[in-house]
Amino acid sequence: MTTMTRPVTAPSGTGGRGDERGSGNPLRHTWVQALLVVALLVAGYWVSRLLGHPSWAGGFPTLAGDRFMAWLDTVYAWIVANRNDSPLFLYFFNYVSVGLGSAVVLVDRFLDLLTWPGVTLLGVFAAWRVAGWRVALLVLATFAVFALSGLWNASMTTLALIITSVLIALLTGIPLGILAGRSEGFHRAVRPVLDFMQIMPAFAYLLPFVLLFGIGNPAAAVVTAVYAVPPAVRITALAVRGVPSGAVEAAVSTGSTPWQVLTKVQLPMARRTILLGVNQTIMLAVSMVVIASVIGAGGLGDAIYQALSKVNVGQAFQAGLAIVMLAVAMDRVTGAVGHGTRTPDIPGRYRLPVLAGGFALVAAVVAAARLTGVRGWPREVSVDLSDPVNAVYGAIQETIGSTTEAVATWLLGAVLTPLADLLTHSPWWLVVLAAAALGWIFAGARAAAVSGAALVAVGLLGVWNNAMDTLSQVLVASLVTIVLGVLVGVAMSRSDLLAAVLKPVLDAMQTLPPFVYLIPAVALFTIGRVPALVAAVVFALPPVIRLVDDGIRGVPEPALEAARSQGSTGWQLLTKVELPMARGSLLLAVNQGIILVLSMVVIGALVGAGALGNDVVVGLAQSQLGLGLASGLAIVCLGLFLDRVTQGRRAQRA
Amino acid sequence: MPEWRGSLFRVLAVGLAVAMVSSCAVRTDQVVRDPDTVRMALNGWVGYEASAEVLAYVLREEMGYEVQLLRTAEQASWQALDQGALDVIVENWGHEDLMETYGPEGNGTVVDGGPTGNEGVIGWYVPAYVAEEYPEITTLEGLREHTDIFRTAETGDKGEFLGGAPGFVTQDQGMINAFDLDLEIVYAGSEVSQITEVRRRYADEEPVLFYFYDPQWLQEELDLVKIDLPAHEPGCADDPDHVPCDYPVYDLNKIFRAGFVEEDGPAYRFLDNWTWTNEDQNQVARMIADEGLDPSEAAERWVENNPDVWRDWLPEGAAKR
Repeated sequence: MTTMTRPVTAPSGTGGRGDERGSGNPLRHTWVQALLVVALLVAGYWVSRLLGHPSWAGGFPTLAGDRFMAWLDTVYAWIVANRNDSPLFLYFFNYVSVGLGSAVVLVDRFLDLLTWPGVTLLGVFAAWRVAGWRVALLVLATFAVFALSGLWNASMTTLALIITSVLIALLTGIPLGILAGRSEGFHRAVRPVLDFMQIMPAFAYLLPFVLLFGIGNPAAAVVTAVYAVPPAVRITALAVRGVPSGAVEAAVSTGSTPWQVLTKVQLPMARRTILLGVNQTIMLAVSMVVIASVIGAGGLGDAIYQALSKVNVGQAFQAGLAIVMLAVAMDRVTGAVGHGTRTPDIPGRYRLPVLAGGFALVAAVVAAARLTGVRGWPREVSVDLSDPVNAVYGAIQETIGSTTEAVATWLLGAVLTPLADLLTHSPWWLVVLAAAALGWIFAGARAAAVSGAALVAVGLLGVWNNAMDTLSQVLVASLVTIVLGVLVGVAMSRSDLLAAVLKPVLDAMQTLPPFVYLIPAVALFTIGRVPALVAAVVFALPPVIRLVDDGIRGVPEPALEAARSQGSTGWQLLTKVELPMARGSLLLAVNQGIILVLSMVVIGALVGAGALGNDVVVGLAQSQLGLGLASGLAIVCLGLFLDRVTQGRRAQRA
Repeated sequence: MPEWRGSLFRVLAVGLAVAMVSSCAVRTDQVVRDPDTVRMALNGWVGYEASAEVLAYVLREEMGYEVQLLRTAEQASWQALDQGALDVIVENWGHEDLMETYGPEGNGTVVDGGPTGNEGVIGWYVPAYVAEEYPEITTLEGLREHTDIFRTAETGDKGEFLGGAPGFVTQDQGMINAFDLDLEIVYAGSEVSQITEVRRRYADEEPVLFYFYDPQWLQEELDLVKIDLPAHEPGCADDPDHVPCDYPVYDLNKIFRAGFVEEDGPAYRFLDNWTWTNEDQNQVARMIADEGLDPSEAAERWVENNPDVWRDWLPEGAAKR
């Protein structure tokens, strides 16, 4: 999800930049170095293997990790035993928990009180007022999907949870963002925390939050808020910083107090960007409420699980569609507020009457509905999509099932297993050195230190072997994602028609909860690491394609003209002009692809990918805090390593 | 946005109300709740769902209660009882360790509610076509000889044992160690992917050996054979790394929140009276899983057809309120 949260400021036309260190062809230089490092690692693996894997050349010793996990388990036991005695809980966590639990229930009751005509009318009216009639129609369609799929009540539960948690996220995130925008020191302190929150797999922090806040709505609201808060902080900080210093100085020089500077100058000028942050926060919350169903949040995510437990792809798809619609509608509404476009052009003096009229209408409809006993949408009136979807699914499995199985077997035997062997059975210190060397080659000394330290931390957490297994899977999935992403992205940049067709598909792929395509993945690719890889690629592909497409389309026309006039062929144009000039976007695409693949590690465990992801799931299901949290932290460390290697140099410049 | 303002106001109001009602110290069981609502855990298998939906239907339609079904994992349901977020688990499989932590010996927040009348079996299963081809495979010796037929690309030169969902009761590794079998466990990661995989292999008549249990709706769809392993004896599963015996047969029981029992309302007495047979449960589960009925609809059908069974569960004087 990182892709949505980091403001994409793809530098366009940054090509032709000389490498700082290299002479001749710098790119080749870098790659040769990287290949050397890999060759060294392979050599080390063979030496260790020929020596019969002596203990000094094996995996990381697990002593420290075992102690750490055991300690976490005692913490768990203490909390379970003292939850209703310890003052920490009686006076703090339980307050939050009871307050939030009640808040979600009350919002849900409130939506129920409005009845379905009331909720629909209010939603459509609000959408029309802030975003125009097109978006209002979309909102209407969304409510229609909720109703006709027979998921009205589940949708309202999800909506209640989203409203509550977005509210918490914004109430904490925007003030923090303002603070970070005004104070460099605070900004620096808060940034690593935000990075951490975004890479930590959501599953891994479900358990600690359940422990602190209690199962069901309270923990779900907190978890969703925590997951959704980073963009609110980041983008608010960015927005406040982006206010021209001239405007601030002018205000200060006319004797404004800091508070006045903030409320009269900085916030109004940063409003649009801040609204973009609000938009991102809502999108993250929508994607998290599905995962939160694992800890009893109910709603649409619950509907998906229910369908999954009966292996009913069609039913799961239907619930997934409702979530996609919800996400798209919320995105368009908040996005339109941010852009400030397409709002209906109402003269100032009519604005208040229109608003009042709208509310009066809503009130009247609610009253009428309640008097006639209407509440939720009647479940009898629904359209069942699950049978046709199941039929299509069956047909696909029938036709390409055997081919995909063969692909799966080849991928396992020829790629995944050897790579996993190489990483797990090489001496651990050699792997750490290789990581540091790659960091140095691609991103400089600082990244080298971070990469090495991240891998040592993985070892200290006591999950070295699993982490190397996971790393091998992530590397392969990333490679597939990037290759496919570049191919499709280039094709998309060539043809406007293809772009127009692909865009909604990519939107849906990105918002569809990954759980929905887990069953098809298993049915086509059997159980194990391959279906997990497929699911990760499907999930990570859309932003990569988009970034590549954006980057190539951003290449300035004069550069293309110049190349064409010199008689470049289409291939030369692409490889010599467009791709090099879109380098910034391509690098960002690589980085985002890898981070998104990493975020699917835990989901992949649900179809048998094993390794770190499985331990996170087991930790949650069996309440083993030590195992779950250590594995989750190890995923964060892997993310840190991969992120630094792929974007370190760019970050230095920024 | 107006909706937000409404909820903002509500959050503040709730926070204030909570602060005033509770005299400072807050316990987790003080979440706003309606005394006429029964909150049931809903664990992830269809048999459980069948029991829960039938009970919920009778509570709603015959006794005038609201019922909230909360879908969670097994361990999480126990935690929820402990925290006061749920009232009852209607089908519990073993979990003596959790009973120790939360039961009368530990936190004292949960109570064993006695048997549901259902009997649960966990074990190792193979499809019938495997047992036909290798008749001796249903015994321990036969299995030991034929582990090679279960080899897959994922496990290489070891046989593959398809493990159950992460939350389920397992002792498979201990059994593999103790029986000295050349098997490697592949964790399907979730029940749904395990079932999908078993179904896929069943369709292609490929061999598969896996953790499974009964009552389970897939048992109706596929013809499965349970491997005959040395019977469970008390204490034989104490060392998780060495378990020379099969899973025990579970008398499935109910678990109540202690406070729910103390209130002793009609809902508790109804749930306390309830027992039924595997046959009863399977009737409902089949309607849900095989015929694809909505669970509440399946429950309604069963309740309509079996009044003499559930009438006995109603506590005295519990006509529709």
